[in-house]
Amino acid sequence: MKEKRKLIFRAGALLIVLLIAAAMMVIGRGHTVYFDNKTLEYEGQSYEAYHRVDVYVKGERVARLGKRDRGMAEAMGQKFSMTLTVTEEKGAEPESYDVSLTLPYNMDGILINVPALLNGLTADAYLSELEIVVPEEETEESQEGEGVDLMEEVAPADI
Amino acid sequence: MKNSFLAKASVPLMFILICAFCIPIAGLSPSYLANEIVTRMGRNSFLILSLLIPIMAGMGLNFGMTLGAMAGEIGLILVSDWQIVGIPGMVLAAIISIPISVLLGVFCGKILNQAKGREMITSYIMSFFINGIYQLVVLYLMGSVIPIKHSSIKLPRGYGIRNTVSLLRMRQHLDNLIAIKAGGIKIPVLTFIIIGVLCVFIIWFRKTKLGQDMRAVGQDMEVARDAGINVERTRIISIVMSTVLAGIGMIIYLQNMGNIATYSSHSQIGMFCIAALLVGGASVDRASIGNVFLGVILFHTMFIVAPRAGAYITGDSMIGEYFRVFVSYAVITVALVMYETSKRKAKSAAGEQLARAQEEEENAGKEQA
Amino acid sequence: MNETVTIKDKFAAALKEFGLPRLIITGFLVLLLVMAPFVGADLPTQISNIINRFSWNGILVLAMVPMVHSGCGLNFGLPLGIISGLLGATLSIELGFTGPVSFLMAVLIATPFALVFGSVYGWLLNKIKGGEMMIATYVGFSSVSLMCMMWLILPYHSPNMVWGLAGKGLRTTISLEGYYDQALAGIARITIGRISIPTGTLLFFALLAFGIWAFLHTKTGTAMTAVGSNPTFAKAAGIDVDRIRTLSVVMSTWLAAIGILVYEQGFGFIQLYMAPFYMALPAVSAILIGGATVNKATIMNVIVGTILFQGIVTMTPTVMNNMIHMDMSEVIRIIASMGMILFALTRKTEAAR
Repeated sequence: MKEKRKLIFRAGALLIVLLIAAAMMVIGRGHTVYFDNKTLEYEGQSYEAYHRVDVYVKGERVARLGKRDRGMAEAMGQKFSMTLTVTEEKGAEPESYDVSLTLPYNMDGILINVPALLNGLTADAYLSELEIVVPEEETEESQEGEGVDLMEEVAPADI
Repeated sequence: MKNSFLAKASVPLMFILICAFCIPIAGLSPSYLANEIVTRMGRNSFLILSLLIPIMAGMGLNFGMTLGAMAGEIGLILVSDWQIVGIPGMVLAAIISIPISVLLGVFCGKILNQAKGREMITSYIMSFFINGIYQLVVLYLMGSVIPIKHSSIKLPRGYGIRNTVSLLRMRQHLDNLIAIKAGGIKIPVLTFIIIGVLCVFIIWFRKTKLGQDMRAVGQDMEVARDAGINVERTRIISIVMSTVLAGIGMIIYLQNMGNIATYSSHSQIGMFCIAALLVGGASVDRASIGNVFLGVILFHTMFIVAPRAGAYITGDSMIGEYFRVFVSYAVITVALVMYETSKRKAKSAAGEQLARAQEEEENAGKEQA
Repeated sequence: MNETVTIKDKFAAALKEFGLPRLIITGFLVLLLVMAPFVGADLPTQISNIINRFSWNGILVLAMVPMVHSGCGLNFGLPLGIISGLLGATLSIELGFTGPVSFLMAVLIATPFALVFGSVYGWLLNKIKGGEMMIATYVGFSSVSLMCMMWLILPYHSPNMVWGLAGKGLRTTISLEGYYDQALAGIARITIGRISIPTGTLLFFALLAFGIWAFLHTKTGTAMTAVGSNPTFAKAAGIDVDRIRTLSVVMSTWLAAIGILVYEQGFGFIQLYMAPFYMALPAVSAILIGGATVNKATIMNVIVGTILFQGIVTMTPTVMNNMIHMDMSEVIRIIASMGMILFALTRKTEAAR
């Protein structure tokens, strides 16, 4: 009986750990969200870019977009909330919109077209994936990645 | 009694002298120094605490903590690739590292059981051996057999991980979550809370049956075996625990540093943590939590001020950097020598006692007859 | 009937004693040699390379023998002897000697250093019987890092050795061209077809190896073996255990000094600073691959082990590169040599410690 109890405890502990791991994978999924203030053509309709869009995430201003500008913010988790302060034309009154988006899990870089978003279009229209291209740096010594030869360990820089 | 206190205190005292000499020369402001020390305490203490359990079980200095560090690094590399950021990323990396740490710890423990009496040199060579396997996995298997999605952490040739993996999206997230600025010093409160929890755990563990078993094994293996303790299993468990803690400690260390030096972080950290523990007054067979914190303060102070002092005295900054490497190794050498000589003295003292007891018995027998 | 059983038994017992890791390593090397011509590796060049590397490293591995015999274990503190050799080399150049004479002078200057360092090292090891290998490792490390500071401070002036701009402090690598590069190897070099044999170096190695073998058969030599295999018996027989152990350490340190000089003349460069740091490990694993244990080592172990170890080091990169265009040689070398040392450390020892 005691053996069985130990087994149940261990299985239970393992289950809890796996659940935590799964939760972490969902909560911690990092995305980079990009905002485009660009005119979008969709199904024959054209959605104009705004004169100025200010993007606020968690109270801090993350981007100030003129026409055709792109800004970015880092996000964690599947829900992304931001406040957009939009000035449609020069001299017009700025209007604020609170937006909450669900980010698709498997995309690293997510591109949001602001006009399409604010005009109530579906996610198909305003959301797309952005391939984050890492610029290929010159292969210097440090990028060779041959592993540290045991014979070449030098005095360390910092610990 | 007094002799042994002086012997134990000699290494910390030596270090206090070195620091006292170097600090004024280095010319660093006290607040900068204090800030650096607090940061390093937060960064390294967990790792050094992981060394306490094997010492308790008589396994000596666990050079095999490098194995745990490697497990932690692998966890972080995978988490980086999966783009899991911030504290959830760290937790996930820790969870991934645990099975790897357990596996490596069991392997290490089994080999050490085959090399009783030579645990330290064996765990030392073991760290190199596993480093070779780690390189095999990280330099060749990752990206080819083990799928890695992002080319930003892969080498240009398409497989194998780069020399540095950036942890920018979780950098200091643990430290900053609850941070207090007091008098110009940033104190990472959550990190210290976690370290505190580990300290409490170690204190509690010492009193549990398993902990007592380990101490018994550490005192005398044969006596423990006679008392019915499964000596081999206890030793393996002590190594496994140490490896798992080292894995988690490495994650805490790396989240503070902000990037992983994929092929060198773990090997250097092993040596410097052991040096720091010894500087705090620990010995090969006895180490306490106080040794850990004293060691971090003294060792890291020396580490910070030595290069500057060296540059000031000789005009060459490399002198100071080599000096701190030299001092780290010298301190381990001195500690090992003191341990061995005291072990031999104890043996010969015990032998003499036995001889004297036998003599007395003989004399008593003669008188009776 | 009986005879066949005993031969088979003997064979099986010999294999078991040889050990699985050694079988794997030998088998691996044979495989590489067989595969070499098929994958386009130039076998004569490879064999020349192996012979060359054997000639460079042989004496460093030979340095392990005295200390194993006297029971001091594997000499992880080899860097101490290497440093004596480096001091000899640098001082010889500093004092202005060139050409093959500089080699001779390097040997002469290194010797007193080796004797002094070896004596202190030996005295230390006598105080800590039982924990020699671990402490030896750290004595080696401490001395290398100490010398790192010294190489910067010591008043060397020879323009071939110091940094150009500052004018003081030795460079990390010093070329031996014009000094003793190939000093020994060039003597009576034999070329068979495309295989080049550095006879001079090999003769020198043979001389020293024979010298050690002969020494071990003298009265002092047998005393040394006795001290290692049965210290209580040796003491009872009136042998001064501590003195013999110190002698073995001094011999080992001196051989290491000579060994690094021979290595340098083959390699062509003097390497300072952190280079000697891990040099003990290849030598240790080489002798273990050759069949030695922590308490037992013969000259044959040295020769076989060095050939096998250098064979793997030479063949693996070329064969693998030609075959799968992936250079895993470094990693394989680490795993093989460290695995070998682990294997040796986990064997049951004969002498009670």
